[in-house]
Amino acid sequence: MSEHKQPDLARREFLGRGAATAGVALAPGVMLYGVVHAKPADEPVSSKVRWGMLVDTSKCSSGCNACVDACNKEHGLGNETHSRDTQRTQYIRKVELRHKFTGATHSLPVMCQHCETPPCVDVCPTGASFKRADGIVLVDRHICIGCRYCMMACPYKARSFVHETLTDQRPHTPRGKGCVESCTMCVHRVDEGRQPACVEACAADGSNAIIFGDLNDPNSEIAQRVKTYASSEIRADLGLNTGVRYQGL
Amino acid sequence: MKRLLQLLSMVVLALTLSAPVFAGDGGRTPLPSIPAAKGDQCVEDTADMRRNHMKYLKHHRDEAMRQGIRTEKHSLKACLECHAPVEGNMAAGGKDAEGHFCVNCHVYAGVTLDCFECHATKPETSAQFHPLVSPATAALKAADRPDSTELLNRLVGVTENKTGVAHE
Amino acid sequence: MKNTKFLEIGSGKGYYGLLALLGAIILAGLGAFFYMEHTGHWVTGMDNQIVWGAPHVFAIFLIVAASGALNVASIGTVFGKKLYQPLGRMSALLAIALLIGGLTVLVLDLGRPDRLIVAMTYYNFKSIFAWNIILYNGFLGLVAVYIWTMLDPTVKKFYKLAGFAAFVWRLILTTGTGSSFGWLVARQAYDAAIFAPMFIVMSFSFGLAVFLLVTMATYNWTGRPLGDVVIRRLKNLLGVFIAGVLYFVMVYHLTNLYATEHHGVQAFILRDGGVFTQAFWIGQILLGSLLPLGLLFCRFTRDSRFWIGVASILVILGGFAQLYVLLIGGQAYPLVLFPGYDVSSSFADGAVNSYSPSLPELVLGFSGIGVAMAMMVVGMRVLRLTPASLADDVADPHHGK
Repeated sequence: MSEHKQPDLARREFLGRGAATAGVALAPGVMLYGVVHAKPADEPVSSKVRWGMLVDTSKCSSGCNACVDACNKEHGLGNETHSRDTQRTQYIRKVELRHKFTGATHSLPVMCQHCETPPCVDVCPTGASFKRADGIVLVDRHICIGCRYCMMACPYKARSFVHETLTDQRPHTPRGKGCVESCTMCVHRVDEGRQPACVEACAADGSNAIIFGDLNDPNSEIAQRVKTYASSEIRADLGLNTGVRYQGL
Repeated sequence: MKRLLQLLSMVVLALTLSAPVFAGDGGRTPLPSIPAAKGDQCVEDTADMRRNHMKYLKHHRDEAMRQGIRTEKHSLKACLECHAPVEGNMAAGGKDAEGHFCVNCHVYAGVTLDCFECHATKPETSAQFHPLVSPATAALKAADRPDSTELLNRLVGVTENKTGVAHE
Repeated sequence: MKNTKFLEIGSGKGYYGLLALLGAIILAGLGAFFYMEHTGHWVTGMDNQIVWGAPHVFAIFLIVAASGALNVASIGTVFGKKLYQPLGRMSALLAIALLIGGLTVLVLDLGRPDRLIVAMTYYNFKSIFAWNIILYNGFLGLVAVYIWTMLDPTVKKFYKLAGFAAFVWRLILTTGTGSSFGWLVARQAYDAAIFAPMFIVMSFSFGLAVFLLVTMATYNWTGRPLGDVVIRRLKNLLGVFIAGVLYFVMVYHLTNLYATEHHGVQAFILRDGGVFTQAFWIGQILLGSLLPLGLLFCRFTRDSRFWIGVASILVILGGFAQLYVLLIGGQAYPLVLFPGYDVSSSFADGAVNSYSPSLPELVLGFSGIGVAMAMMVVGMRVLRLTPASLADDVADPHHGK
């Protein structure tokens, strides 16, 4: 009765492309920073794309927490009732720097750096910590056993462990007790062609300190910027080729 | 004599153990109370779903997570659109609450349900539309909901979660 | 060489009393586990900065000691030393018992211990942890076969092969355990190749200390004779191993001190770390290494069973201190993301992290010791593992010459 054979690919593509065109035509006022073309839902991600972020620390101000607040809201973080502060999850945090010798100060957000050769992926005994083909590093919480070895291995202290039972998760970010989690580069948004929440919030705020895009696409804003201006990775000496790069450090 | 007693005790034992069968439905055998779902029908045949829902979910979850294939047919998030607990129901409160479609049956069957340790037990907004309510209307409704809805949402600053653009 | 007579240990009030005590410890540990698993790790002292705590200190001590406990058997089998051969069976069982005790604590501390079967079926072979799982289980199987070749005369011809295999396997296993720290590039205190050989020598030292204590206690409490020759040879060996550990620790710290980039963590451990500095100098070096060395070789104490026992206990405590400094101190010192900068954030960047173990964690840790000792006691009762006599005239291969 309910026959769900594979729908017609050509028709889907037509609808998708037609809808995208219609969408762009219908909403001219929407600012589209580095528009990312959403792949069709039934297509797997490929390594032709490498998602990355670029942080311009000169645009990042010390008291601003827009990215952190947006991330917490997007993923439903901070709903732990029993955990101490040091046990609560943070996907992204603002770090304040002051050079010991020169006195120079910087403020910047630090989150999972989505390395090309992530130490967390290397050390996970079950393979729960994995890197998607398009460069986003994730935790498969179905097979995570909560050993926290990836937390020991991460050079950026990006990972958090859930210390208590959680309820009222946001449906697009399942998270639960006993598993390790970290910034997903808002993979649920990226797969729909949107931007990570932190990037969007920073833009909405007017700072525009973080941009997001496909590092492999030579025409994307991020690829052009990292080609033109010097950018660096945190802990570059580890040779991890992170997807998140910083300028102004 | 001894044999007769043995035979008798075996018969008594057999009858006692099979009593529930003779009691029949509506007797003292409890049955799970499965809350009704929204919509006309499920994405698969009921018998098929009963037997294979775990396979569909598991297969889909690996595809979705590792390869970013986010089709909606077997997506857990999409299941909950129809199998959502009624607003104000206790089940809206969490994974162990009674009145939840999945939890009720699993508690009855004695099969541990791991999903809702992490996954939300209910859709974010009950106004979300499930595109797979019936096959005939699905295609029509897919055309009704282009990406523009999503872009408009962004324009007005609505950042609710989405089940994604309907593609099937 | 005379055939050693092996006998099960007797049962009686002492035996059942000891089992009851160990059983209580194990039950308490199970209770702690249920509590931690049900409510979540928020009840522990561990958090997102110190992710491995007291349970892991206990677990790693037991696992490292397990590998070393097999040393006595290996010396007898692989190196052919006759004095050690009668001790082989006990040594092998102690290795299994300690490993199971350590693994129990490790597994029960997982965030999702219900997913243990996942850990046994999904393997990421680039992970040393995954290899450790295979190595630990293989060790259990191999040593069980080894004991079998020692017990069953029909398979006695495989004794040397089994012993050799077990010897090589445990070297690989301990290399794996040490490498699970040594291969972490992220942390200042880790990321050093020396961890693998250091852990091997640590295993020799801790394992032999535990074996000495268990042997002395067993023979004392069962009233069987234990001659001075055996004790003297074992305690001399223990002294050599303690010195070996000291050597590796010294090389590790000297190397780090030479590199400017490691000065921060070295200053932390050796001078500014508060409880960690105390644990290092007083716990690990003084009480755990120098004092036992003195007791084992000083003319006034070296022949006294009491002081040898004290020295063994000190080595064990020093081992715990060493693992505490390594494991927890290594996590307390902050990750260095921005060399040359003072760093602060809402996620403890740039700050030294503090840790105080909670009661459930400690109880769980002790229950690992309980499991190990219970296995040992029951094993010695059920199987013929303990020589009826280790008196000099029986055990000493050079006696009467």
